[in-house]
Amino acid sequence: MSQLIAEASPTTGDEVIQNYTINFGPQHPAAHGVLRLVLELDGEIVERADPHVGLLHRGTEKLIEYKTYLQALPYFDRLDYCSPLGMEHSYVLAIEKLLNIEVPLRGQYLRVLFAELTRICNHMLNLGSHVMDVGAMTPNLWLFEIREDCLNFFERASGARMHSAWFRPGGVHQDVPAKLLADLDEWLDTRLPELFEDAISLVADNRIFKQRNVDIATVSKEDALKWGFSGPMIRGSGIPWDIRRSQPYDVYDRMEFDIPVGTRGDCYDRFMVRVEEVRQSARIMKQCLREMPEGPVSSNDRKVVPPKRGEMKQSMEALIHHFKLYTEGFHVPEGSVYVATESPKGEFGVYLVSDGSNKPYRCKIRPTAFSHLQAMDFMAKGHMLADITAILGGMDIVFGECDR
Amino acid sequence: MIQHPAPKFASNEGIIDAARAAIGPALIDAVEAHGEIALHVERTGLVDALIALRDKLEYQQLMEIAGVDWPDRDPRFEVVYCLLSVTKNHRLRVHVAANDDQPVPSVTDIWPVAGWLEREVFDMYGVLFEGNPDLRRILTDYGFTGHPQRKDFPLTGYVELRYSEEEKRVKYEPVKLAQDFRSFDFMSPWEGADYILPGDEKADAKGDAAK
Amino acid sequence: MGVDLAPVPGTAPDPSFFNDINAELDNKGFLVTSTEDLFQWARTGSLWWMTFGLACCAVEMIHVNMPRYDLERFGVAPRASPRQSDVMIVAGTLCNKMAPALRRVYDQMSEPKYVISMGSCANGGGYYHYSYSVVRGCDRIVPVDIYVPGCPPTAEALLYGVMQLQRKIRRVGTFER
Repeated sequence: MSQLIAEASPTTGDEVIQNYTINFGPQHPAAHGVLRLVLELDGEIVERADPHVGLLHRGTEKLIEYKTYLQALPYFDRLDYCSPLGMEHSYVLAIEKLLNIEVPLRGQYLRVLFAELTRICNHMLNLGSHVMDVGAMTPNLWLFEIREDCLNFFERASGARMHSAWFRPGGVHQDVPAKLLADLDEWLDTRLPELFEDAISLVADNRIFKQRNVDIATVSKEDALKWGFSGPMIRGSGIPWDIRRSQPYDVYDRMEFDIPVGTRGDCYDRFMVRVEEVRQSARIMKQCLREMPEGPVSSNDRKVVPPKRGEMKQSMEALIHHFKLYTEGFHVPEGSVYVATESPKGEFGVYLVSDGSNKPYRCKIRPTAFSHLQAMDFMAKGHMLADITAILGGMDIVFGECDR
Repeated sequence: MIQHPAPKFASNEGIIDAARAAIGPALIDAVEAHGEIALHVERTGLVDALIALRDKLEYQQLMEIAGVDWPDRDPRFEVVYCLLSVTKNHRLRVHVAANDDQPVPSVTDIWPVAGWLEREVFDMYGVLFEGNPDLRRILTDYGFTGHPQRKDFPLTGYVELRYSEEEKRVKYEPVKLAQDFRSFDFMSPWEGADYILPGDEKADAKGDAAK
Repeated sequence: MGVDLAPVPGTAPDPSFFNDINAELDNKGFLVTSTEDLFQWARTGSLWWMTFGLACCAVEMIHVNMPRYDLERFGVAPRASPRQSDVMIVAGTLCNKMAPALRRVYDQMSEPKYVISMGSCANGGGYYHYSYSVVRGCDRIVPVDIYVPGCPPTAEALLYGVMQLQRKIRRVGTFER
């Protein structure tokens, strides 16, 4: 063995190794939409990630300034199209805060019920695509079956599969059929746990899945605060912050649920936080179904909430109100509020400035994905190219909301 | 009385006094309206004020930077910083006024998240941020001109895209709409219309004739 | 709740058709057809689509590929590369910033290629028609064969759109561009 001489490697000489820049997207199946990432690579290690957003910038905020408050509501569905009702929630609460209008209890319960159903719906898409991004196919197929059920429920409540426009200032647009509540109850007991636990059991303890996710893009508590994280991202880093619990809106203060928290702050923690959130959402929905009172679903303030068609056929006054509200809309008192709710992806805020007219003067939307995606550079640094998809999957980014 | 079901956070009591003590003379005005506190701060003292709010009053997170355009005011633009304290469970807004030739000091050193948020305000309003290391446009098209969220920017913009079969590329052209955006005037005439109502011009003409 | 999967009486394929073909194959060992028919059969039977999810409609586009609607029954499978795909489904709002990329992807697709415009934003701008950053219809950028209306179109509507495209291919064969 002594004759062995360490030979100079033919590849490590004087040649200068240049960094390699690749363009990821805007059309890439793992980009979750229209993300364009400019990645600077050293071999296969990511040195710098520069996300280019705005490829789905539709000018929503500008359009909202040209519509009445009610006409602007459906834009919120189309922001985060994976969790439409979560977006509406912030907007209607902002209007209600400016108007200081009371919402009947049943309306509040229905909102919480469907906001949680939206959370399940959103997490199904995210968990499914996360596991698909790191190479597993089957769980996605099963989770989409749950999503399909969720969309059916939305359709039965509002008439639309995805873009419900069902939350309205003052309550919800219409009451749900009693059979729907019974079906939801049964679904929560049977199909949801069955399909969900089956699908998650395939990946939660899977060796390959863990190798792809554990210790990838670890975020400390301090970094999570500095980078404006919220939702499952901040909880994955170990900060038990949930707006539903700390700043309760609607009837969340009556609900009993646990807030899952991660320990290491890596992609696996973020994944598991979402998994547990689905179970907690199911728990909240069960409580809603159990406690939901009878009564009106939206406020009786006829200066804000239009009357039902049946009433309109009987009463002249109702007809006038209906006409006024669907043409001119309601006027909102002057002032500005920032209202943030816990959307499935994190803190979704609406900074609404009213000048007392029937159109918002300014409606700034605080998207969750914007600040999360910004942290991409520091999260991806030093990881392999293939980890980018895992990081993106763990962030839960939807571009409709990020780019507005 | 609070009737609305919007998120309830910790009480506003004493916050304004604490903020006044922490920020000092840079605080121009403090307003409490609709259950939220807005602090109006001098543009030059913004960074010190925000550091004081973060370190002394525990507002750890910067959630949002919003721009607002008030064409009638001077300075014209307002930049709103929405802060959140996760320990005190409280929200606060800090307002700064600026013109497009008066750069606002950047807060990227306090919160790195401000980088993109400031880029967005710059993109939408043209407000400059002094000290932001990467002040490029972020949301609008590559090579976009103008600042779309300004009130004097038309909703439909100035250019639109079309693929040109002759030149084999996507090219920009001036906007040509088949139908204009229909903007209705909902102000009832007796609630103060600021234009001459149809028919009223005759009344004036008659009045002149009578004279 | 759920979907009843038992076939409706009278909708099952006609067995005599298959028996005829089987008998001919057993008898002669080959089938005779025109190249036109053969090409059309091949084209309609394997419409691989380019995953071009832009916005909300992309979610419904995924749904139509998932077990409930299972678009692959029709030989329609998602492909991530434009070089291997036959049909592009433009699903969602097409913005100015994205338009050059869309055209480039379209140019990379191999002939014959088809385009389905999905949802009102892709059809003509829809809810975002008057925005400063939205292309008012993806037909300003690429030639469109089938328009699917809706905001977003349900998964069934897209399924129907794909079937309409198959019909159109059968009827006109190769499109002149």
